[in-house]
Amino acid sequence: MALKEKIDSKQLILCGEISPPQSCDGDVIREKARYFKGLVDAVNITDNQTAIARLSSIASAKILLDEGVEPIMQMTCRDRNRLAMQSDLLGAAALGLRNLLCVTGDYPTFGDQPEAKGVFDLDSIQLIAAASHMNQGLLLSGHEMKKAPDFLIGAAANPCGQPMEMRLIRLHKKIQAGARFIQTQAVFDLELFSRWLQQAVAWGLTEKAVILAGVLPLKSVKAVRHMQQVPGVRIDEGYVHRMQQANDPQEEGVKIAVEIIHALVRMKGVAGIHLMPVMWESITPILLREAGWTTLNQGERP
Amino acid sequence: MLKDLLSYHQPPISAHERRVTRLALFVEDVFKAPLFHCQRCGECILSSTAFICSQNCPKRLRNGPCGGTGADGSCEVYPEKKCVWYRIYLRSKTLHRVSLLFKTNKIHNWNLEKTSAWLNVFKKRIDPPIWFVRRDQEKVKEIIRVGPQRKD
Repeated sequence: MALKEKIDSKQLILCGEISPPQSCDGDVIREKARYFKGLVDAVNITDNQTAIARLSSIASAKILLDEGVEPIMQMTCRDRNRLAMQSDLLGAAALGLRNLLCVTGDYPTFGDQPEAKGVFDLDSIQLIAAASHMNQGLLLSGHEMKKAPDFLIGAAANPCGQPMEMRLIRLHKKIQAGARFIQTQAVFDLELFSRWLQQAVAWGLTEKAVILAGVLPLKSVKAVRHMQQVPGVRIDEGYVHRMQQANDPQEEGVKIAVEIIHALVRMKGVAGIHLMPVMWESITPILLREAGWTTLNQGERP
Repeated sequence: MLKDLLSYHQPPISAHERRVTRLALFVEDVFKAPLFHCQRCGECILSSTAFICSQNCPKRLRNGPCGGTGADGSCEVYPEKKCVWYRIYLRSKTLHRVSLLFKTNKIHNWNLEKTSAWLNVFKKRIDPPIWFVRRDQEKVKEIIRVGPQRKD
């Protein structure tokens, strides 16, 4: 079932994530695609994540599509101005890519080329609005296209940022601009997340868009330290402690991820899971088996 | 509507106009630079951001904070500083202007950089400021009750 139909159905949604390599080796993506094929509904392709130049998200998404995995192409506002964005979106549509995730993007100083200019001509809300105008056949110039693309537009959300009401206002604006699905930053603080989610449900945001909660399996203590540096991620002290004490950090990481998945799918308002095994894609089949995803996936969303 | 998203089909500002309006820009700067850290974007949205200049955001976002805001409201680029939008939200709360934060601000017209926003309002290039907001809390409640209105 395509992601669009899955969103309209009442079943749990599962998305994966692949980060393209820092080279022109498309086989890396084909190999990573094997870990997701048949297990997830769609796979995100990050767009130069953490401001590091990588194989382009459009090309990677096309490779995934050819491999028989439905891609979600990410697009950041950091690297392109409005002209390049529109032309890339048209190109992506011509290649048959249908799913689009609009994000603002990390600031260039996070990456390995901190001297780069951050463009930020549009912000993520304006990009979503621009893409939905393109769906209606209009470019930002007002030009009417003979053939309009048909993007399923998504957006990101950070449930742990403060103040919470401001985050919800922004989510409200994103959905109003045209976002149909929301993927959250990795959740490690279930209490904070559930408070945010309750508010989002109370605001009626979950009726208009589906929320996919982010889950990131921790690979090692080093990965924990790294994730603590990532903007917008907050890791509960209990998890940090467990990772440090564990004999086998990888096993413990999977255990923690399984616990988080089980807690998340029971929450009212969560429509699915967005799995982000950053640089650890091979764990996906094991993690899903441990979590018993096929049994979780029966019946309707909470 | 496209015209709510950006101002299109506007001719660029000529060098001549920039020259003759230098004084206006200077006068505006004298007020706005010390008061608001004005970045001279020429498309002023101070009135909808509780009179804190959103253009001090490193990403120059005009529609709210990015996903990098920390749990303590810190900026992702300069963690020792507070996110501009964190401050905007708190002051909007104090000044009862939260309903304005729900408005999606237009895509920036970069031609207007380093021109006088006051003149641009006068010449109807940009939207005029919103000075007074009445019954802010009721408006916010109404927006939340109606929910996001997506056109699809």
